This record gives sequence, structure tokens and C-alpha cells, in this order.
Amino acid sequence: MVIHKKLVRFYPLTMALVILLCAFFNKVQGQQHQEIDILIKGGHVIDPRNNINGLMDVAIREGKILQVAPNIPVTGAKRIVDAKGLYVTPGLIDMHVHVFIGNDLQAYIADGQTSVSPDGFTFRAGVTTVVDAGSSGWRNFRLFKEQTIDRAQTRVLALLNIVGTGMHGRFEEQDVADMNPVMTAHMIKKLFPQIIVGIKSAHYWGDFTQVDLAVEAGKLANVPVMVDFGEHDPPNSIESLFMEHLRPGDIFTHTFSYGPKQRETIVDENGKVKPFVFAAQKRGLIFDVGHGGGAFSWRQAVPAMKQGFKPNVISTDLHTQSMNGGMKDLTNVMSKFISMGMTLQDAVARTTVNPASVINRPELGHLSPGAEADVAVLNLRKGDFGFLDVRGAKLKGNQKLEAELTIRAGKIVWDLNGIAAQVWDHEE
Amino acid sequence: MLKKIFVCVALALPGAALPGAAQDIDLLLKNGHVIDPRNQIDARMDVAITDGKIVQVAAGIPEASAKKVIDAGGMYVSPGFIDIHTHVFVGSNNGFANGINSISPDDFTCRAGVTTVVDAGTSGWRNFPTFKEQVIDQSKTRILAFLSIGGLGLSGKAAQENLDDMVPDSAVWMLKEHPETIVGIKIGHYEGKDWTPFERALEAADKSRVPLLVECHLPQYSLEDQLRRMRPGDIITHSFEKVSERMSVVDDNGMIRPFVKEAQKRGILFDVGHGGAGFWFSEAMPALEQGLAPNSFGTDLHRFSVNAGMKDMLNVMSKYMAMGMKLEDVILRATWLPAKSIRREDLGNLSKGSVADVAVWSLRKGKFGFVDAGGNRIEGDRKLETELTLREGKIVWDLNGLSAKKFDAR
Repeated sequence: MVIHKKLVRFYPLTMALVILLCAFFNKVQGQQHQEIDILIKGGHVIDPRNNINGLMDVAIREGKILQVAPNIPVTGAKRIVDAKGLYVTPGLIDMHVHVFIGNDLQAYIADGQTSVSPDGFTFRAGVTTVVDAGSSGWRNFRLFKEQTIDRAQTRVLALLNIVGTGMHGRFEEQDVADMNPVMTAHMIKKLFPQIIVGIKSAHYWGDFTQVDLAVEAGKLANVPVMVDFGEHDPPNSIESLFMEHLRPGDIFTHTFSYGPKQRETIVDENGKVKPFVFAAQKRGLIFDVGHGGGAFSWRQAVPAMKQGFKPNVISTDLHTQSMNGGMKDLTNVMSKFISMGMTLQDAVARTTVNPASVINRPELGHLSPGAEADVAVLNLRKGDFGFLDVRGAKLKGNQKLEAELTIRAGKIVWDLNGIAAQVWDHEE
Repeated sequence: MLKKIFVCVALALPGAALPGAAQDIDLLLKNGHVIDPRNQIDARMDVAITDGKIVQVAAGIPEASAKKVIDAGGMYVSPGFIDIHTHVFVGSNNGFANGINSISPDDFTCRAGVTTVVDAGTSGWRNFPTFKEQVIDQSKTRILAFLSIGGLGLSGKAAQENLDDMVPDSAVWMLKEHPETIVGIKIGHYEGKDWTPFERALEAADKSRVPLLVECHLPQYSLEDQLRRMRPGDIITHSFEKVSERMSVVDDNGMIRPFVKEAQKRGILFDVGHGGAGFWFSEAMPALEQGLAPNSFGTDLHRFSVNAGMKDMLNVMSKYMAMGMKLEDVILRATWLPAKSIRREDLGNLSKGSVADVAVWSLRKGKFGFVDAGGNRIEGDRKLETELTLREGKIVWDLNGLSAKKFDAR
């Protein structure tokens, strides 16, 4: 620091002035750079909501996104993560999971062992928010909340099943007397609007009754309805479902399922996407992947993608029957779409801003300053990879996503290769 | 016609001479590099599986004899890995026993090539039946268990400190009822000075002729005393931890303490027990350099370790490779040595007739980092990745669709 000679005579005063000035500059500087908790440097940021797709740094302070910009100075950042060669995205949102785990051995998914603990699958796949797809209904949602939602590090949101007991058992799911739109709407609107983001209709063997009751509840609570429209023998018309029963903003899941005996497919037997499917998507119907253990076939997905039909949301349908099969985790399902020709940006949009907007949670799925700092740092591996569908067929690919680092509300919750860790010092 | 029959017989004869004749093999793993330390195999060989058992490990087993062939060229084939330190008594209580801190085993095993886990005393003689019904009988992974000397296992302080509930004979009875599943007794998580719990655990282990697993959180027992009371074949875990409540195995100058060396010489087995806080480079690295390699790579799998430096057993194994351990030594410590330590010589090998628990894995090359409990990183250029996991001959994990047919887009 250069001090003017004349000032030297007034040494004490000068020093006081210098100290004051230093303090002032520090404060100014501090506001800009010195209070960064984590600075992710040199990564390629993909934030579809903010149209960002390029080299940028991401600064995090007090659990929130502070700034996304090129060349944020490292001065004063408490922790710097070198993300060179990696992609930085909003924390991924998996809009279709089953995480109402419990030990009711009589139960199927609700409080049962087909559900999984969220934290073991989310962070290692860059996921920071999951939406449970109707494992619970209004009768057992409180137990789900107490047992899982309140204890998870992952943000767990939920679609409430139109059936009061949720996915307790196959036969209970047929009980029209337990499909109560008013109670379902109360649960959402009056009691848990922060957590419950929609309604689920699933596994019903009859006509459109269950879907219609779910939509009725959806109208009462002003939330979308997700429909798993299988298990009808013979299948019900999906054209009627899309055009006459569901509203724009409602969600059709298991989009690429192939089980034509119980579920009408979106691609016909000649490999053509049915025209009304495009029309439905144009109308505002949301198509969700919901991969699962039985709901994703190359023979549906490959021709659909070739003919320009892309799902709005990529999700896993995570549960014990899917976790070790062709599904594996969300990055694997995204990689499948990349292998079919989807761009990385499109895959990221379908796991960030798209699901956030579908569940009407605009505060999620982006890196705008002030947003909660849920961040994924992804590596796009190159190599020879194979991807399985639920029917045991393999598609080859040469790229695969891998989660390097996951940040949830500003906290590092996954660090695959220790990119945020200090190098161990032998001499220490 | 006769000629045809003759040709058939002629073709069938060489096949008949082989153990796996004409389509007798359910699954044939071709061209992999087999590492089976128990049988001192470390070479390119094929592995034939029928009825959930290993029928042959040899070079050049004919494909014609197999219903299904998987090409494992460029990959390694080994016995399924054994993780002797996990907490898998998952449930909805707070804490570990029947609790949310435990983990559903299948979530982490299949994808890491692990086919057997041993629960480290999450249950005791009172709640083992619940554990068995709720988890052990429901899982694809083979789950064995150390039984805690405390009747309720890891059910919180009030239960864990209760001497009246540590009943050796009850533990022995429970073990007698489940000899297929309970492989040892565990002492850990006791905060008193009294050696009674330790002695009762030893008594139960003695009476049942099983090893004692000495876990952590015994703040009043000195490391030296613990090791001195242990018998050859007993296992101490969290071997390389650096925490205030237990002396570390190396001293301030980075030298293995003499009584630790002595214990190793006497046949005390050292398990990693990585966990969230149980593994430090500052202890493990000098220990390894001075000849104290762990006998097994227990992960201490639980809610707080899976997303930390531990991750899964493959990552712990890869970490040891980054620390300088040779690949075959790593596989030995992930298969045969842990099987022997729990006295289950039927596991951890590919001997003819053994259950077909198999891991097929590749050695990924690249720049990798490995983190310890203190948030310190070391770098490595190789990392294990599980391609295929077989449990009793059944495919329970297939990363890249090795076993699948290629999708035909027509």
C-alpha cells in the first residue's frame, strides 16, 4: 500500500485513516466476493430456466445461489471447487419415485418394502428433490411424512393417491368407496400445501371412474393429476384419456411402456407414434417417463424419439423392483435419452425446470440468485456403454452421465472423487 | 439314418467327457480374467454355473454346452464380495435397530458386486427374530449377523448400557436357533468402565465357538486392554479410526504401536469398518506401509456413511488400490479372508460346488479421488466398477447390459 509522504507526519492519524479505509474497502469487497461459502469454478453451466448454457462460475452463500457469472474472483471464497470439464446444473428433480418405506410386510408400496429410502439413491445421482408418486393417500400421508419426509435430507414432495390408503395393496386400490376427492383436496390445500403437489391415479382395473375422481380432486385443490393407466384388460382408450378426461397440465406417466394387453401404447404396432399423442402434448398434457421395473421399452422410446416425440419429464419410478434393473438411477435414465439422440441440455431441462413447472414449484429447478442452492455437478463419461430396457434389450451408447458433486441447500451431500476435499498431506 | 446317429454320438462324446455337457450349463461366463484367491486362480478362464452352483472354472469351456453365454472379455471375474461390517436392520424407529439409520442392503450391495453382508450387531438376542423376519428373509443379498451382547442391539443408550440385558446364555440360544445366519457375537457401544459386558460377550462367543467382533464406542476400555482380551480369530473393526474415544493404532510418530503388532501376530483380525468417521489416511497409510493391512474391507454401511467418503465397498477397495495395495490382495480381502474370518469357508470362492455368488467387474482407468473421514483426498488412476453380479446364479445387477441381447430397431 502506498501512503502519501505528507501524511506520514501525522502518523497516528494516518494509521487510523488507513485502518478505517481498509475496513471500508474490505466491507465493499466482502459484499461482492468475500462471503462466498462455495465457489464452483470453470464448469459448463446448464440452467435451462435462465437460458444459460456455457462456461460460468457458481457462487453459493448461506445455502442460496449468490451469483452465476463468468470469472467470479476466488478472493475470499471459503471453498473452491474446480469443475473444469464438468457440467453444473440445478439439482435434479425426479418427479416419479416411491419412497414411503416401512416394514408393513402385508403392504405393497405404502409403508412397505417395495419403497426405498430416498437419500441412498438421490445424491449419488445429482438428485436433490423427489416427488413420491402416490405411495400414500390421505389416510396414511401423515405416517409417510413422519417416517420419511421429515427425516430425509433429500427434499421429498408428494403426489397424494386418490385412494385413501395409497398403494397399500392391489385390492384396496380398486375400492371406489375409498376414493374421496374432498378429503384428498383438504389434505393438499388445507393441511400440506408445501409438500403435496398433485394427485395420483394408478393401478385401477375398471373404467375411467378413478381418473375422473382424481381430476375432481385436482380441480378442488388446483393441482395436477398424474395417471398410471395400466392394468386394464382390455386396455382403455388413451385417446379418450388424453382428450376427454385429463386437463392440460395433467401428467401421463409410463409413457414408453409396452404391455399392449393391459395398456394402450403411444406407438402403434407399425412403429408410428399415434397422431393424437402429438395433439395431446400440444394441448398441454405432460408426458413423464416413469421408467420403473416394467415401464420402459426401446420399441416404444426409440421410434418415438426418431419421430420427434420427446417426453416432457424424465423420471425413474424408483422402487426396489426398478433400482437394480434397467433403470438404476436418474442419471442412467437421462443417459438413455442422450443415447437416443437427445441433447444434454434437453435432458437437463426435463429433470429441472420442466418438472418444477409441472408441479408448480417455480422456486425449484434453476440457479437464479436467491434460489436455494441445490446444485448437481455432472461428468459426461465417454466410453462404450450399454443401456437395458425392462424387457432385457440393450441399446449401445458412448456417453453416460455420472454425478460428481451434489449440493443440497448449500451443503455438500455427495462428492464422488473428493473434488471439494483437501489433498491429504503425508507430512501432516 | 445310422450314419446320422453315428455322427451325433461322435459329436456328443467329447462333450460328454466334460463336466458340462450339451446344454448342461445354465450360464457360462467366457473370457474373463478370474481372480479366485481361495483356489489360487489368477488367469483368463471361463466360469460355468448350473442350478445356482459353480460347476467348473477352466479355460476353453465350450459355448455349445451352455444355455446362456456372457462374454466377460476385458473384465475380471471373482467370487461375490463379502462385507463383514454393515447395519441393515432397517425400520422406521429412530436410531439403528429397526431404524432409519440402518440401510436396506439390496440398495447398495448388488451394484457393488457384494453378495454377502454381515450385520455388525444391530440386533441382539431379543430383537434378532424381528430383524430376521423383516429384513434378512426379505432380501436378495445374503445377510449374516453378529449378535450384539446387549439384548436389543443398537437400540439407544438406555438399552445399550443395561448390563442385565447382556445375557450370554440367551445369546448362545439365539445363535443355536440360527446357526446359518448368526456368525459371531459383537461388543461395542458401551460407555461404562466395567469389563462385564466385554467378558459376557467373550463368554457367549466362547460357548458358541464363534468370533467376537469388537466395534467402537467403548471409550473407557483402552485399546491395549481390548486387544489383550481378544482371542486369535476375533475381529476388531474401525481399525484405522482417529477419534477421541479410542487410541489409534499408530502413535504420534506414525509408528504402529507395539501391542498392536503383537495382537496382529497373535492372530487378531483387523477390519476396516470405514463408516462415516472410522477411516483416516493418517492411520491407515502408515499402518499399511508397516505391514498392517486390513483382513477385510467392512464398510460400516449405514445412513451416514453411504454418501460420505465410504460410498460403497468397491470404493473402499479402490481406495486401498490407490494406497498401493495390489489388486489380487484387494480381492483376497474382499472374498476369501472375510469368509474365513466368519468361518464360512463355503463362501468367498469359486470352488466346484460352491454357491454361484459371482462379481464381474472392470478396472476403470482415469483420474479418481478418494476421501477419508477427515475430508482428505488421495488420488488414484484405477477404480473398480461392477458390471454384473450373480447371486446364487441369478443376475441381480447388469450395469451395461452384458447379459442382454442388442435392441433391434428393425
